[in-house]
Amino acid sequence: MPEQKIVITIDDDGAITAKTAGFKGESCLEALEDLLELNGVVGEVKKTDEYHQLQAVKKAHIQTIKGRS
Amino acid sequence: MSAVIKTTTPFAIETVLIKALAVLGVEPLKVDASNITSLKHNGGVQLGDIFTNRKDYNGIQHFRFEQGRWILRHDSDEMNGHITASTMASREYLSVQKFLSLLSKEYDIVYQEYLQELAEQERLRLEEQRKKRVEATRLQAIEKAKSQGYSVKETHNIKGQIQLVLTRMV
Repeated sequence: MPEQKIVITIDDDGAITAKTAGFKGESCLEALEDLLELNGVVGEVKKTDEYHQLQAVKKAHIQTIKGRS
Repeated sequence: MSAVIKTTTPFAIETVLIKALAVLGVEPLKVDASNITSLKHNGGVQLGDIFTNRKDYNGIQHFRFEQGRWILRHDSDEMNGHITASTMASREYLSVQKFLSLLSKEYDIVYQEYLQELAEQERLRLEEQRKKRVEATRLQAIEKAKSQGYSVKETHNIKGQIQLVLTRMV
C-alpha cells in the first residue's frame, strides 16, 4: 500500500508550510485543502519534482490512450 | 507688566502621580471610606482625593481629580496660618510653586517608566496572542489529520518550530 505523507511546519507566527509526498498530481493540493482549509490564505505554492513527474506521466499516459483510439 | 508662565505637566494618571509624590517624600494617601473621617480640610474632603503631608492654613494640601487632571488644592496665600515667614525661609520648606515644579519633573520621569511598562504589557499581550494562535493552529491541524485517517507524529525542527508529520496508507 503506498504511503501518503504530509509534513506540516507551524512557524512562530502560526503560519503553515506543508510539504506532501506520495500523492498523485493535483490530489496533493486537494488533500492540503481538505486538511488545512486553505481557501484564501495560501501565499505560495511550489510544486515539487514529483508533482511534475507525475503530471508528465499522466500526460504521456493520456497521449498513449489517445494514440490507441 | 509682562510675565511668562509655565504650567506644570498635567497630572492625568493617578498611579503616576502617586509614585511621583512618594518619590518626593510627601507620603501620598488616597482618601477612602476607612480614612475620610480622620482627614480634615477647610474646603472639604472627598473620596478619591490624594492627601500629602504638606500643610497650610486650610489644612492638608491634597490633589483632587477635576476636569481630567489632578489639581493641588492649597491655600493660595502661603504666608498665612501654618506657613510663617520663618517656615518659608526654612531650607526644608518648599513653596507650592517649587513643589509643583519638582513634582512635574518627577511625574515626567515616572510617566516615562509608565509608558515603558505599558509597552512591555502590550508586548506580552501580543506574545500571548501569538502563542495562542500557534497552539490553535497545531490543535486544529492534528484534529483534522486524525479525522482523515492520518497518524500524527509531532516534532520540532532546528528552528524550534512545531513540525507535524502526517502519514497514512492508501
